[in-house]
Amino acid sequence: MDNLRTAGESGNELRRIVRINEEIKSVVATAFKINLMAMNAIFLAKRAGQSALGFGVLSNELRRFATDLQQQMSTLRETTYGSVSTVTSLLKQARTSRILNRTRKESDPAGRVIVDQLLRQRDLSTLARSKEQLAALNRRLSQMIADTTQLVELGSVLARSAKIEAAYGGGFSASLMQVSSDFERTIGDIQHSLEKLTKHHGDSRA
Amino acid sequence: MKTARVIFEDGAHKWLAIVRDSTRPEFIIDTNEYLVISDGDAILLDPGGAEIFPAVFSAISTSFDPRRINKIFSSHQDPDVISSLAMWLEFNPEIKCYLSWMWQGFIPHFGGGADTFVPIPDNGMDIVLGSQRMQAIPAHYLHSSGNLNFYDPKAKILFSGDVGAALLPPGDDNLFVENFDQHIRHAEAFHRRWMGSEKAKRDWCTRVSGLDIEMMCPQHGAIYRGADVRRFIDWFSRLDIGVLKS
Repeated sequence: MDNLRTAGESGNELRRIVRINEEIKSVVATAFKINLMAMNAIFLAKRAGQSALGFGVLSNELRRFATDLQQQMSTLRETTYGSVSTVTSLLKQARTSRILNRTRKESDPAGRVIVDQLLRQRDLSTLARSKEQLAALNRRLSQMIADTTQLVELGSVLARSAKIEAAYGGGFSASLMQVSSDFERTIGDIQHSLEKLTKHHGDSRA
Repeated sequence: MKTARVIFEDGAHKWLAIVRDSTRPEFIIDTNEYLVISDGDAILLDPGGAEIFPAVFSAISTSFDPRRINKIFSSHQDPDVISSLAMWLEFNPEIKCYLSWMWQGFIPHFGGGADTFVPIPDNGMDIVLGSQRMQAIPAHYLHSSGNLNFYDPKAKILFSGDVGAALLPPGDDNLFVENFDQHIRHAEAFHRRWMGSEKAKRDWCTRVSGLDIEMMCPQHGAIYRGADVRRFIDWFSRLDIGVLKS
């Protein structure tokens, strides 16, 4: 029964990690978009000259933010890859345990004793180790999602400040406003993806 | 539920046939496994797929401690032949698996590490079992490109893998072929389709004709014994193979 439960849990875990990975991909794509937008904003601020000095500083910060975000997401992807391989190994072990349980059921008393010995050894070693490994990966993933959320908060503050600075852009004000609104919307998209990511990650911990 | 039946015994030298799994789900092909024990040394021939492992294990454990199986012979690479390898290794991680060198890099996908496999060269080799010398006999392209039979000169038994296999109708549970002409009808379509090389077939017929065989044990269907072994070789040598069913 425990092994059946492990197989079911591992299957759910694998599906959950696939969903997380999909969300990470979408954040990575958006972060790449922000990087391009920040480069555009830097050029625009240069053209605006003295009247957009504050906006120029913020564009540089936004570009740094986009690079940090990309870096963070690539580490997150590596962590989920580690989770996929741990869950795959758990699934394999669960299948072995399922077959062993069937073997136990079908065997005569002598065979049952042999299978019981092996099942006891397995429960104490491999299965427990993999579960522990997965729990550690999950803890790391939680920490990374929290760090990313914090980073995106900073991006959101930068986008709002850029919007304020855009108002002082003189003749370039309208275009600067357009660029900073795009920033704000895109960071909003990232926040939405991160909320989904947090939800999918939280699903396994509920 | 499979049963283990003794088909040869002479002192400490014994062959067990693990056959007929009536509880097997219909979508899984029925297979025969053979355990050869000699002076306490034990080799399992084509241990079968992972899904039928419980049936094979439980049948063997009624007459032999399965943890003492220290060798496995895999005639070729198919999942119904060897996908249970990882399960056997759970009980004895020291098992050596003998197989064609061609599958050395493929079978580890089913289980086993670098030390598990003993590659057999194309021209075959001897496998020591207890005080006896068994022989891995080339049967390449029948049907796999790296295919081997297992011959026991003491028991005069040839384990022929898929050669001689018959897909028997439900209820036909005889351990041995009782009526060759009736039996061979269930083998014909299989051999026409699965055996792909006329030259390989002729080579095999010549090779096994030189062996002293009292029983020929296939991986599927009933065992040929006595004159039926010669009948099979003659029938096979005449059969048109490598063709689609018309």
